[in-house]
Amino acid sequence: MKVLSVDQSPLITLVGPPNSGKTTLFNLLSGKNLKTVNYPGSTVEYSTSKIQTKYGINAEILDSPGIISINPNSPDEEVSINSLYNHPLYGSPNLIVVTADSSQISRHLLLSKQLIESGFNVVVVLTMNDILAKRGFKVDEKKLSELLGCDVVSIDGRHAIGLDKLLIVLESKLKDIEKYGFVNSIKKIFYSKKEDLLRLFKVIEEIEKKVIIPITDFSNDQLESLNKKLNILNPSLKYGSNRPDELTLQIDKYLLHRYWGLFYFFMIMTITFTSIFWVAQPFMNLIDQLFSFLSLSVGNLLGQNWYSNLLTDGIISGSGAVLVFLPQILILFLILGLLEDTGYLARGAMLVDKPLSKIGLNGKSFVPMLSGFACAIPAMLAARTIPNKRERLLTIFIIPLMSCSARLPVYVLLIAFLTPPSKPWFGGLTLATIYLFSIFGSIIVAALINKFKKNIIQSEDNSSFILELPTYKLPKLKNVIRNSFESAKQYLLRAGPIILILSMTIWFLTYFPNHTPNVNTQGHSEKEIMQLIKAERLSSSYASEIGKFIQPVMSPLHMDWRIGVSLIGAFAAREVFVSSLALIFKVTDENRLQSSILHAMKSAKNEQTGEALFTTSTIIGLIVFFVFALQCLSTIAVSKKETGGWRIPLLQVSIFTSIAYILTLITVNGLKFIGIN
Amino acid sequence: MKTASELHFGERGIILDIDSSHPSFGRILEIGFTPGQEIELVNSSIFNDPLAFSIRGTLIAIRRREADCIILV
Repeated sequence: MKVLSVDQSPLITLVGPPNSGKTTLFNLLSGKNLKTVNYPGSTVEYSTSKIQTKYGINAEILDSPGIISINPNSPDEEVSINSLYNHPLYGSPNLIVVTADSSQISRHLLLSKQLIESGFNVVVVLTMNDILAKRGFKVDEKKLSELLGCDVVSIDGRHAIGLDKLLIVLESKLKDIEKYGFVNSIKKIFYSKKEDLLRLFKVIEEIEKKVIIPITDFSNDQLESLNKKLNILNPSLKYGSNRPDELTLQIDKYLLHRYWGLFYFFMIMTITFTSIFWVAQPFMNLIDQLFSFLSLSVGNLLGQNWYSNLLTDGIISGSGAVLVFLPQILILFLILGLLEDTGYLARGAMLVDKPLSKIGLNGKSFVPMLSGFACAIPAMLAARTIPNKRERLLTIFIIPLMSCSARLPVYVLLIAFLTPPSKPWFGGLTLATIYLFSIFGSIIVAALINKFKKNIIQSEDNSSFILELPTYKLPKLKNVIRNSFESAKQYLLRAGPIILILSMTIWFLTYFPNHTPNVNTQGHSEKEIMQLIKAERLSSSYASEIGKFIQPVMSPLHMDWRIGVSLIGAFAAREVFVSSLALIFKVTDENRLQSSILHAMKSAKNEQTGEALFTTSTIIGLIVFFVFALQCLSTIAVSKKETGGWRIPLLQVSIFTSIAYILTLITVNGLKFIGIN
Repeated sequence: MKTASELHFGERGIILDIDSSHPSFGRILEIGFTPGQEIELVNSSIFNDPLAFSIRGTLIAIRRREADCIILV
């Protein structure tokens, strides 16, 4: 129990089964000062907020992850359930508000009943009354309140009907608690035994029979004839609330069709992907241009000196590298949120559960893997919904193999090198091939890791897939947008600082020690001199020292230290590879960045052997490298946090980067062997 | 002894018992598969696994292996 001091407000915790309208209620009650906090030492996330001031109740509300029972089934559930008894930051809640779908009352009251029996102060909020009303029934709140022994309020979250009643109940409850203190003692009951659960269900079924009443004032005769009519259609139908939503069943006939279901699935996925790339592109270009402009203006303003360079090449470019992916991440989460809200994502997870389970994953790995195509960081966070620890760790393990959006600029550049000007379609085809290749590659790697999982993942757990397929409904755009922004914020907070620090480090390594080199200025324009200085500075920098140190590793790939340095630079974020190449290969025409890199690449010679550096074979080799290598420090940091140690991230880096290196070695030399230079 | 995994599409059955030796039995019970309830096999994934049952007015997808612990009358 939270001890109330004068300035401390009481705590109301919202709990409820998934799809019971809990988050809608939270959004309705919560004010602007919403915070998302981690439960200390775990990955369980909570949203907390003060109740909106206009409602006149001084209380903190806390939205917890959806649970169907207080008997925990996964480590995450255990944390959220334990926090009801004693939350390390907030203590135990003064009041628990449990949401229950009134059309699902026989299932959803389980949690309410368990919490009441445990001795918590409970208010039950009935949601989705419109669905029950469509079937001609409603819940007798007064009766239910009597039978449960707690307050019951019906609410329509979409239109905030019933909210005033709930507020009155909350206020008087909190007042009582303030006046008389907490009278009940809370018992920790787990209800893990079969008899306990069956007893509860029996009680609930009795309650259900008494509280579900028809809306219209039918006479008993009419009711009987109505029942008879319904009975013809469905002999088991007793009071009409037992049949799933008819529209949902009809839609599922198509979307979960035994053969066509997969076709619709691929259609929906294709649309999702195309939007991530094509809708986000103009926004990404805009951000890119904005930061180039900012960098240029600051550079002009401050002149040529180290702090101006730190600001432009380190900090501004670094921030740009973080923000440029924001549109893709926002759009991905927007689409995922919409798909989830309509009810389709659960079905997608069901469709792919079987093939994924073959390689040690779960249908619930599907959404995290999908997110991985935008960015591995939010994807790893999304893996928290997988209850089985081994499957969750394996999902996190292979997420870096999903072709994230940071690889795209690299592929675009490399493909441009391979594409003959007369065949522009070749580029698109190659890009699609790379994506398919990366999907197949990750399946094979996942299968291999699954084979050796005992050594790598070190966790055994019962694998299961139990998922409610929610009723199809129109998404609540406001909630989806709010959640997308929340996810985007998480990405910025987690990846931002690391990318920024790393791009400053790389700036430092490429700028020092010879930061003001002497160059021959005769006969060169001012712009050319600047480029010469840049190139000279780089070739005598710490970065080139490192590059020359790793030359022995690069030689077998028929590449030289300059590509090595760019690959090291790519550890800040993969697309840094492009700007590093630009910097290193003395790009002169900044206005036509891409074509001039291409030009410089075409004329570049391997410094050791003197042969052409960028050939079909080395370019394909580089693509293979980027498909497999884990070169993103932010991903490593998040992986460490999400898996609770360094073991998995270090294994990821070493395994993926060695696979990348070996396959690149085979590709380049193999291609050269069969005569493709 | 017939289990839920042996139902045909559109076929109904009444639950007799849940096999409590199955590791997922607790969750199966908690989600609403209790003795006496009527279930119907409504859908399946293209690979015939998982299966989607209608139970207590909603749809629940579970794996074939889990459906095996739902014993029907």
